[in-house]
This record gives sequence, C-alpha cells and structure tokens, in this order.
Amino acid sequence: MEKHRHPQAAVAVKTGRYLLVLLVIITLNFLIPRLMPGDPLLNIIGEEAYYGAGGALENLREDLGLNHPFVLQYFSYLGGVFTGDWGFSYLYMQPVLASVMGHLGWSLVLLLPATILAAVTGAITGSIAAWRRKTRTDMLLTGGLLLAYSMPHYWLAMLALFVFAFVLGWFPLGRAVSGGLEGFACLADVAWHMALPLGVLTLSKAAYDHLIVRSSVVSIYGEDYLLTAQSRGLSGAAVLFKHGLRNALAPLVTVTAIQFGMLFSGALMVEVVFSWPGMGTLIYEAIGARDYPLLQYAFFIITVCVLAANLLADLAYRWLDPRMR
Amino acid sequence: MMKPAGLFRRNPLIFSGSALAALFILAALFSPWLAPHDPWQYQQAFLRPSWEHLLGTNDVGQDIFSELLTAGRVSLVVGFTAALVAAAAGVAIGILAGFRRGILDEVLMGATDVVLVIPTLPLVVLVSVYLGPSLPGISLLIGLTMWPSIARVIRSRVLSLRQAGYVESARALGAGDWWIMSRHVLPNVLPLLLAKFVLTMAGAMLIEASISFLGLGDPAAKSWGMMLQYAFTRGGFIREMWWWYLPPGLAIALVIFALNLINLGFEEQTDPRLKRALER
Repeated sequence: MEKHRHPQAAVAVKTGRYLLVLLVIITLNFLIPRLMPGDPLLNIIGEEAYYGAGGALENLREDLGLNHPFVLQYFSYLGGVFTGDWGFSYLYMQPVLASVMGHLGWSLVLLLPATILAAVTGAITGSIAAWRRKTRTDMLLTGGLLLAYSMPHYWLAMLALFVFAFVLGWFPLGRAVSGGLEGFACLADVAWHMALPLGVLTLSKAAYDHLIVRSSVVSIYGEDYLLTAQSRGLSGAAVLFKHGLRNALAPLVTVTAIQFGMLFSGALMVEVVFSWPGMGTLIYEAIGARDYPLLQYAFFIITVCVLAANLLADLAYRWLDPRMR
Repeated sequence: MMKPAGLFRRNPLIFSGSALAALFILAALFSPWLAPHDPWQYQQAFLRPSWEHLLGTNDVGQDIFSELLTAGRVSLVVGFTAALVAAAAGVAIGILAGFRRGILDEVLMGATDVVLVIPTLPLVVLVSVYLGPSLPGISLLIGLTMWPSIARVIRSRVLSLRQAGYVESARALGAGDWWIMSRHVLPNVLPLLLAKFVLTMAGAMLIEASISFLGLGDPAAKSWGMMLQYAFTRGGFIREMWWWYLPPGLAIALVIFALNLINLGFEEQTDPRLKRALER
C-alpha cells in the first residue's frame, strides 16, 4: 500500500491481511454447511457417512457438538482446524488431513515446475514479441498464445491426450505411476507420466506470462530514456535485456502470485483429465461421493497455498525492485 | 477521453474481436431457427457426421450441431450475467471508495483485497455442491467472486479523476457527491469498465465451463462445458468422436479469444505509454 512507506511495515500489513483471509475461509467453511438447506449433520459429514451411519447418527451429532450453541461450535471448530482434527473421509476411508495432504503433494509436483518453466518461456517469447512489435512474428506469437490462453485448460488437456497418447502413443493415458518400479526407474516413470499434464499447464501459464511481459516491455519502448539509450548506439538486444526484461520481472512476479489461484484451478481441471492423483482428482471424486469434509478442506488448503505464493511474491518483489530495498 | 464508438473504429483488435464475438452471439440468439433438429430429441445414438447430422449424434441420439447452437445461449448468458453482477458491484464499490476516501475506503478496499485472493473455482465448486444445479445461482455466485479486480481498477481511476478540473469546478459550484459521482465520474470510467467487463465475462465463462465439466451444471440447461463433460464421461472421448468434443471446446475458446482481443485493444488505447510505444 502506498501509505506504508516502511517496507517492514508493508510486509506486516500484508501478513495481517493474509491471516484475515485465512480466518474468513475457515469461517466460510464453518458457516456454509450449517446455513445451507438440509440437515447440518449431513452437510458436515457427507452423504456416504450420513446414510451409512444408521442408528449412530445421534451419537455423531452429539460428538460434533451440533446440539451446542453456535458460538461454542465455532470455537471448537476453530480448534479442530488448527490441531489437524479435520474429520473423516468416507471416500478414502482415512482422516481428511491425510487424504488432502497426500493429494496436495502430487498437485505441487505439477504446479511448481509449471510456474517456473512458464515464467521463463513467457519472458523469452514476450520480450521477442515486444521487440518485434506489430510485425508478423509478434502477431503469430501473441495471437497463437492468446488463443491457447483462451482455451479451457481441460479441453487443451483432452487435445494433448488425444494427439500424444491416443494417436501417437508417446505418453501414457493417465495417472502418475505405473507401479512396481523402484529408485531411478520409478522417477523416470513419473516424469514420463507427468510430461503431458505439465506441458499443458506450462503452455496455458506461459501464454499469460507472455502477454504480461510483452505489454510491460512494449511500454518501456514508449519511455524517453530508451530512445536516448538507442540513440547512444545501444544495440536492439542490449536494450531489450538491459532495460526491457529487467522492468518486466517485477510485474511478472506479482502477476504469478495473483494468478496462482487461477493456475491452481487450471491444474485441478487438467488433473481430472489425466487422472493425476492430486487435488483436482480428489475434488472430482469428492463431488461424486458428496464427501463434503474433503471439499471444504481442499478449498482451505488451496487458499493456504495461494496465500503462501502471495507472501513469497511480496518478498521477491522487494528484492527485485531496487526502489523497495 | 475517447468515446467507446471511436475506439471501436480505430483499433483493429477491438474491431475483429467484436466481429468474432458478434458471430457467436447471433448464432446463439437465432439458434431456435438455425438448429436443424430439436436438441433434446432422442434419435439414433453415436452417429458419425453426415448431411442429416452435421456433427453426428451423442450417446442418447441428440443432434450435436443443434445442441452446440443451443448450448451457446447458456454459456453466453451465464458469462454475461456473472460479468454484469461483478461489474455492478465493482463499479459501485470502486467509485464509492475512491471518491469518499477515508475510513469507508479503508474498509471497502480491505474487503476487496480479502476477496481478491480467495481462489474462485474451489469456492464456486464448494457452494454449488450444496446449492445444487441452478443457472441463476451459478451466475450470481461467479459474479460475486469476481468483482474485486474491477473495484480496484475503478478506484484508482477515480482517484486520478478526483483531481480533474471539471470535478473541482463542479464541487466549487456546490454539486453534491452523488451528482458528481453519477454525472462526472461514472461516464469517465465507462471505457475502462467496458474493458474490465469483457475480461470478466471471459473469466466467468471459463469458470462456468469448469463447473459444468465437473458435473455441477444444470442438466436441463446444457452449456458448452456440459457437452464436454458428457463427451468425456459418456464415451465420446474414448471412442475418439472428435466431432463431439472438439466443437464445444473450440466455441468456448473462440468466444473467449474474441473477448481477450477486445480487452487487449482497450489496453493499447487507454495506456498512454503502451500507445506511444506502438505508434513509434
């Protein structure tokens, strides 16, 4: 915020805001099942648990404290969130915490490399397009990537699966591991399985990064100091990398953080198509089974990841932008 | 300040984007007359494309081409309604915060920043699982999660407008806040609002497509995303019936592409630095 000139104060304010977001999410998770139509007990434990419980329903209601006053329920819920008591998933027959964490790892295995690969790709293509702005190179590159960015992630995933797995047979039809392998062979097997989903995710994200880098580098060319640099005889490439790209880095980091929620959402959809055992597949199966606790904590943990990405970006931004140091 | 009509003629991106979007809007609008079959009528299942069925038939024998035309209505209307909700909330909050400043600004922008980082798709999934399939519900829900970025942009525009000469003179002449906000501020943020509206509609259509693909759409109002879900879960994809799952995805991609083109054109026209660099 412009008012908090002191960088430490700015980070403190942001951290405070992220904690507030966390509290809002937890409160939403508490309120939604209790305010929605239907039996709150059903809304909290999910359909399979509810209809499978038989005579034990009243005990469950007692255990969850649904007969207690609302405020008391809220505080006991809050306690549960922080102590890892997230309830039981009847879909996976294990605690929600274990199910969610097991799947989260697989999602991050896709997300982190995709974010980095896309940023590098987008930075390169974006600068080239800005340098050659309004030429055929720019039109083809920017137009093509804008089209890729406009496609639903899962549809792009279906296309990739069709071409590279069905027709060409280069990659497996889905999942993350073949099983029965160990050591290096197992790692290579995972890499082979993740090539397509990672490629799809990287392409979508790189397309967006390209647009951001292109427009921030192009606007540098509108600055007078760049004209001066060019008139001093600095070559095109030197100008591009010395001034253009450096100025595009900070917005790229910010946008990556702001867009992390969208990237995560895209990954969820890609996972569904490839049956990748991450959060997307977890959410898809939880929707089918109406396993509400899983859905709530999936939402919670994704938000935590988005907040972490934002906090990291705040720190990186300070490091990248010399005025903030 | 340039008039939107002037922008439309001058910028090739805005022009081509609008033309492409108009094509799909018209097709959806006139779908009852354009569709060769009743999209709900059961005929022979899994037919290949022919003159009788341009894109074949699906698993229950519905004509896919007619389905495609009709489904466009749902996708476009959900996107449009959600963007309308987001734009209305965003512009109201942005103008109020930027114009009144003070404690109201702090509170409104604090709330905006909170909603801004909440991931939209997982939230919409969670609430729609409880709400059940409902078209107005999903539109409203998507709209209510997408206003923060509009509010932010509008607010910073309003902050610079506050200093403008005509606003100061209107105030000196004794004009009230509501008068200035509705007569002077609102018209001046309109081009920016239009650009954000288009971008929001693109985002909303993508979310709708995802929600429907996850099986949370209203089966009585089939959208492009839901056609893709059926193609994926009911054998169209495995049987390599590309004529079933390519067209709906392409339709979504092209409409969103058109909206993105319009937004890109607006960006070029309204960002002075960008404009100068592109003209140099």
